[in-house]
Amino acid sequence: MHDAWVRVGRALRLALLIALALLFLIPFYLLVRNGLSAEADITSPDWTFFPSTLHFSNISELFEDSTVPMARSLLNSAVIAVLTTAGTLLLASLAGYGLARIPYRHADHVFHAILATMMVPAAVTFVPSFVLVSSLGWISTLRGLIVPTLFSAFACFVFRQYFLGFPRELEDAARVDGLGYWRTYWRVVVPNARPVFAAVGTIVFIGAWNSFLWPLVIGQDRDAWTVQVALASFTTSQVIRLHELFVAAAVSIVPLLVVFLFFQRWIVAGVERSGIDD
Amino acid sequence: MRARGAGSGRAGRAEAGRPRGPAGRAGTGRAPRTGPGPGARAPLARRLAGPQNRNLWFWVFVGPFALGLLVFTYVPLGWSVYLSFFDAHNTVSPTEFVGLDNYTAMLKDEAFTDSLWTFAVFTAFIVPTTFALSLSLALMVNRLRRAQAFFRSVFFLPAACSYVVAALIWKMSLFNGVRFGLANTVLGWFGADQTAWLSTTDPPWYWLVIVTVRLWLQAGFYMVLFLAGLQRIPPVLYEAAAVDGARPGWQVLRHITLPQLRATSVAVVLLLVINAFQAFDEFYNLLSDARGYPPYARPPLVYLYYTALGQGQNLGLGSAGAVLLALVIAVVTIGQARWLGLGRADEKGA
Amino acid sequence: MTISRRTLLGTGAALGLLTACGSNTGRDGGGSGGEGPRLSHWYHQYGEAGTEQAVKRYAAAYDKADVRVQWRPGNYDEQTAAALLTASGPDVFEVNGPTLDQIRGGQVVDLTDLLDGVKDDFNPVVLAPKTHEGRIWAVPQVVDMQVLYYRKSLLADAGLKPPGTLDELVDAAKELTTKKTKGLFLGNDGGAGVLGGTPLYAAGLSLVTDDGEVGFDDPAAARALAKVRELYAAKSLLLGAPSDWSDPSAFVQELTAMQWSGLWALPAVRKAFGDDFGVLPFPADGPDGRPAVPVGAYGAAVSARTKHEQAAKEYVKWLWVDRTDHQRDFALSYGFHIPARRSLAAKADPLTEGPAADAVRYSTEHGYAEPLLWTPASRTAYQDALSRVIKSGANPERELRSVVRKVSAELSRVQKRSS
Repeated sequence: MHDAWVRVGRALRLALLIALALLFLIPFYLLVRNGLSAEADITSPDWTFFPSTLHFSNISELFEDSTVPMARSLLNSAVIAVLTTAGTLLLASLAGYGLARIPYRHADHVFHAILATMMVPAAVTFVPSFVLVSSLGWISTLRGLIVPTLFSAFACFVFRQYFLGFPRELEDAARVDGLGYWRTYWRVVVPNARPVFAAVGTIVFIGAWNSFLWPLVIGQDRDAWTVQVALASFTTSQVIRLHELFVAAAVSIVPLLVVFLFFQRWIVAGVERSGIDD
Repeated sequence: MRARGAGSGRAGRAEAGRPRGPAGRAGTGRAPRTGPGPGARAPLARRLAGPQNRNLWFWVFVGPFALGLLVFTYVPLGWSVYLSFFDAHNTVSPTEFVGLDNYTAMLKDEAFTDSLWTFAVFTAFIVPTTFALSLSLALMVNRLRRAQAFFRSVFFLPAACSYVVAALIWKMSLFNGVRFGLANTVLGWFGADQTAWLSTTDPPWYWLVIVTVRLWLQAGFYMVLFLAGLQRIPPVLYEAAAVDGARPGWQVLRHITLPQLRATSVAVVLLLVINAFQAFDEFYNLLSDARGYPPYARPPLVYLYYTALGQGQNLGLGSAGAVLLALVIAVVTIGQARWLGLGRADEKGA
Repeated sequence: MTISRRTLLGTGAALGLLTACGSNTGRDGGGSGGEGPRLSHWYHQYGEAGTEQAVKRYAAAYDKADVRVQWRPGNYDEQTAAALLTASGPDVFEVNGPTLDQIRGGQVVDLTDLLDGVKDDFNPVVLAPKTHEGRIWAVPQVVDMQVLYYRKSLLADAGLKPPGTLDELVDAAKELTTKKTKGLFLGNDGGAGVLGGTPLYAAGLSLVTDDGEVGFDDPAAARALAKVRELYAAKSLLLGAPSDWSDPSAFVQELTAMQWSGLWALPAVRKAFGDDFGVLPFPADGPDGRPAVPVGAYGAAVSARTKHEQAAKEYVKWLWVDRTDHQRDFALSYGFHIPARRSLAAKADPLTEGPAADAVRYSTEHGYAEPLLWTPASRTAYQDALSRVIKSGANPERELRSVVRKVSAELSRVQKRSS
């Protein structure tokens, strides 16, 4: 009796999960369906679940479209996302470690000053930031696109929390070996903190890849467009070609999905051990 | 905008949202170690470097980050506050000091106060909804024996999509107002008329679009946080409960799982609240057009964006509004952290 | 120590890379390679195919400066407004303005002398909003106008004649609405954005009077807006189409029987429907009413932050005053626009027959342009109210009263500052 109910409950739960999973996949399905359809198939009054012929040529058409520098913008996004991630990890992990482990009288004040910036909406500082970056002559440069975004209080916070919970014994052993803070950090702490680096790195990478407004305003030259800006150029032009728009959107998320799936277990492990949620 | 805020993807959001709750705890925990050391009476250079050069090392580690934050966040922030006291139309170096005029004008501006109220209501709705959905997903996925990784990936995957892409799918295909939108096609099968989801204010269908896109994008991220929390609950607690005769299901959930998830829950709620008030991307991408933004479902940040950055470019007024918004967020966040934190203290005391 | 050294080296390399990439400022911009200073020239992203190539071709043909064209997607107005605060913005830019505050704030250069001797040849309706206190701040490029497209056959099938009054338009839209096709498309927001002041002009009113007062403090305004609301309430309007009013797609895909759009869309519409379409002005409303057609012009302006003011002015004069061949090509080859020069417009063959000729006639007889005093703040207040009237059924009188209050305050702000 009891067992039977448990089994029914389990089956119901599984059914619900499958239904929800299908709902969550619908947007991805639409992306692929519309991206590989002919324009007329998309706008046809009669819905077709799959276009009669899959137009893979849409993809090559996208890269050959001279009005939108798709390949270049993908490259820009990749370079920006990789450098932003590397820079953020380096700066934030050092700061997080310093805050967590090096005794300093004003460490709490510094930490609170860092935390406070998370509550400030970016709109508050947007125009002055822009003017600042522009007066440095960084418009349309990688520096302008990357450097101002490197100082993530969130990443610093996560690293600090993680290092607070880091087993002291390892560091103490390093001390006994005569290593200072700097060498302890690089030789002992970093190699043992890979999950948190992976977790924060992935989140930062996604944020950098998806960032839109800053690259739109800073990346003024077409050569400095990121993939999000290129996407926007499809939606803001007066004539919208739906199939091209969707295939571009699909192409824009492929690199992320790859990174995401690959690092997923690290993210979960990192979250578990870092106390992001704690 | 910057990777840190409105224009960025989820990292920006998550990042924007860290509360200061844990800071206090951690800080007090370390305080005994940070007292003035023996170096306090040494020569100035020695003193500045601290015992074992600790002060020096502290700044070697923290300095580059702190300096960057100072230059790229605090300087612009101070500049904005400065602008908010001036009549700054189309200029960042204004000369006409107007005192608090911008603040009073903003507080009297119905469009701004309406947007604050709308977002208070929106927050009151979206926070519990996202919370419930992500917690349910976590509970269900956590109890799977097989295919756990598959389901986790499916729910987590949308977190990788940009707001630009998600808004595009929702606006152009899923919920467009014409006959070839998916939602309208499904309605059509049941003989219903096509609905202009984003343009209908009565009933306000646009909320359906906004809420679903937000849930789709965010639920997976918080689900992972909950999953991590669930996996930290010691199995021995469940075993003890079974021995005590607690029925699996509601009783265990109520008396073991939820209390154990308390820390995670507090963090998730705080993150969700800040994210709701800083909403920008999906609203902007779903509802704006070349001519501007409709007067409904207009988040404070979108309104300020048009005030300060639109062709009107009233930077003084926009900055004043942004400062007000930041104050609202700070008060809500700190109040909430205090409230939730006090709740926890009571519980421990009891 | 090895690890840290390697890391330091890595950091150094990354910084070096940043520096190296930092100097990369785009070489694709259709640079003219001309002698002289480098000028950057911004355009918003046109939807008509070939426009971008055309403007780059013009820039390349200029030999007194090295002109780099930048084609800006996204929110052009916001981007230029932000860029004008800095020296790294454009030297020359096209602008759907400039706004009064941009002129007052000294962000754009006085271009009056560029039009010496030819000023009267420019369409006065679109030149007026570029003129402030007798000085000219941008050279109109082409005249953009909006008209009502309708399918002749669909109207005939329904036994309707082209609507001559706003009431007839409301009825026609209702009649033409079927299960799969809506009667009228005024943009996805129900018209609040694109119509703007047009219904007011159709009711015989204006946005701002000649002496700088609010031009719609009149019961006729509420009456006209209530009729636009009727269109929405009767479910005759197409809403939520993938593309907006500026794109003829909805009309071409037969999602709607009538659409409000720009003259630029005419070639695409003609390609789809041949002779089976016509154009109309926004129909008159009430006893004092008159048909209304909004006209406007992107203008070429020079940023006050440019380091090469003289060169920039010379280039603007060359392109938008002297080179009438380029102006003609720009107006007529990539979607239809009316040349801003009256002498050119008179000779524009594609605009002398059929619906295009009708449209040109409407623009001269019924054209109105948003006045310079109609600032973005006023426009936002009015558009918000219009949206609430159309979509939420808000009371037009009450909404307009609050708009009149806000606009009066804004008008006195800008006029006080000028004295």
